Amino acid sequence: MVLTFLLSVVLSAAPTQAAQPPAPDVETCLGCHNDKGMTVNLPSGESRSLYVDLQSFRQSVHGNKLSCTDCHQDMTSLPHETRPFKTKRDFTLAYYEQCKRCHFANYTKTLDSVHLKALERGDRMAPTCVDCHGAHDIAPSHKPKSRLSQTCAKCHRGVFEVYAKSVHGRFLEKSDDVPGCTDCHRSHDVAGPRNGNWQKRTPELCSNCHANKALMKKYGLSTAVSQTYVADFHGMTASLQGGGTSRESSVVALCTDCHGVHDITKVNEPGSRVLRANLVKTCSRCHEGAGDNFPAAWMSHYEPTWEKAPLVYGVQLFYDILIPFMMVGLVLQILLHFWRVVVNR
Amino acid sequence: MSTYLTRFTVRQRTEHFIVMSLFLLLSLTGLPQKYFDAGWARWMIDTLGGIDRIRWFHRAAGLSFTFMTAFHLMMAIGSVASGRSPLSIVPNRKDFTDAIQTLQYYLGRGDAPARFDRFDYRQKFEYWGLVIGAVVVISTGLILYMPILFTRFFPGALVPAAKVAHSNEGLMAFLVVILWHIYNAHLNPDVFPFDKTIFTGKISLERMTHEHPLELERLKQYQDIEEN
Repeated sequence: MVLTFLLSVVLSAAPTQAAQPPAPDVETCLGCHNDKGMTVNLPSGESRSLYVDLQSFRQSVHGNKLSCTDCHQDMTSLPHETRPFKTKRDFTLAYYEQCKRCHFANYTKTLDSVHLKALERGDRMAPTCVDCHGAHDIAPSHKPKSRLSQTCAKCHRGVFEVYAKSVHGRFLEKSDDVPGCTDCHRSHDVAGPRNGNWQKRTPELCSNCHANKALMKKYGLSTAVSQTYVADFHGMTASLQGGGTSRESSVVALCTDCHGVHDITKVNEPGSRVLRANLVKTCSRCHEGAGDNFPAAWMSHYEPTWEKAPLVYGVQLFYDILIPFMMVGLVLQILLHFWRVVVNR
Repeated sequence: MSTYLTRFTVRQRTEHFIVMSLFLLLSLTGLPQKYFDAGWARWMIDTLGGIDRIRWFHRAAGLSFTFMTAFHLMMAIGSVASGRSPLSIVPNRKDFTDAIQTLQYYLGRGDAPARFDRFDYRQKFEYWGLVIGAVVVISTGLILYMPILFTRFFPGALVPAAKVAHSNEGLMAFLVVILWHIYNAHLNPDVFPFDKTIFTGKISLERMTHEHPLELERLKQYQDIEEN
């Protein structure tokens, strides 16, 4: 039996050790756990494989750093003590916190994640460290970058398929520039649709890339989208609610309300919500009763130049001249009058 | 004890008081919206209870100002139509010559400033500035308040233009009041510290002699004004 062999290995090693037994090396454990047929039957009727692929462990990020008992700390006796696990999930949930011994910062972040909240609510399928990272075969999660989003897709299939067709998702495999899931939702402190503080974060999130001149130049996109948004009614409202101590949060259009969220398209693509043909419908989602002329009230992220918005440009120019002219005239009249009064006295 | 004449009716004084209050409220809630990016504006918006509340107050004050202006203009049109208005606030050729003569006097060329009737050219300028400004801010303000209704009949491009006009016109009105009106009604050495006439309705004969001699002469033809 493999087990008796292992036992004899451990026992034969014992005399050379001090009071604290050193961690057995990986090969020692693999003496038993390299048996592909090694399984344990759980009360749930599930069968859990106890096989560990040595090669994939050696190639993992931990392959030359950790030994088995660094994570499986409670495996101190042979044969191993009986564990109380009823299901495979019990086992995973009992072990995932092992990661925090080294990865404390990221573990702490997960405490704020929507996944942990789901777990706390009793959703036992909510992902823990190993569900995303793997266990014995952990590889860098962002190499290539698309791997991050593919990981999310394992559970979030529906939303991933929508995203994959979007202007961002279509380039996920080709370019590291486009945002993947974690660029907006973060990774360890994953934000869900309701706990992400999206109302405040969305314009900033999009601006992270869309206000980046070097990045946008590669794709021929304008970086004025952020400032033109803030200069207008929607963006002004959003920026005031985002920055201040304001208690309110009224409904205001964010980037995603017009452009979409996971299904963001190029602005000039058929089906784009911001195509002129579709704008009335898009505006009407908030502005009930908006007519055909209404969308032109929004300057489409254009700066008020003579070419793009002659009327707005003209009105601004008029006041740029009139206000200083008026003020200088009035100040002169005041100074002259005051001077005369002083002279007369 | 000098003699006082009645210069403004109760209605005029009330109208001034309402305009003054609404102007203050509109400036307080409007300027932080124009300069919302600035630190002071953020502080004001937060202090006054947030952008939504500020907008509510601005619109409420704006609508009140609209009704008041409409009332004022209707009364004015009514009095002109019925022939009861002396039209003393209407600018005429003399205002231009008055302005030139007065400025020349200030510069030291000429013996005396122009002699004014019931309203001098500065007062007419301010009144008509207010009327024209009111028409601009009210019409553009209503566009911004009801863009859906407005764009049912007019091009949408007028809405952002209205926004630019509204905020600039408001700023100009604020600056004119801060500079011009505060000087003329308070800091001007002739009236310092406070020209109370628009609140009490009364003006002294002494000031009438200096500031509105032509009106005083006309009045003397019709009524017995005792100088002491």
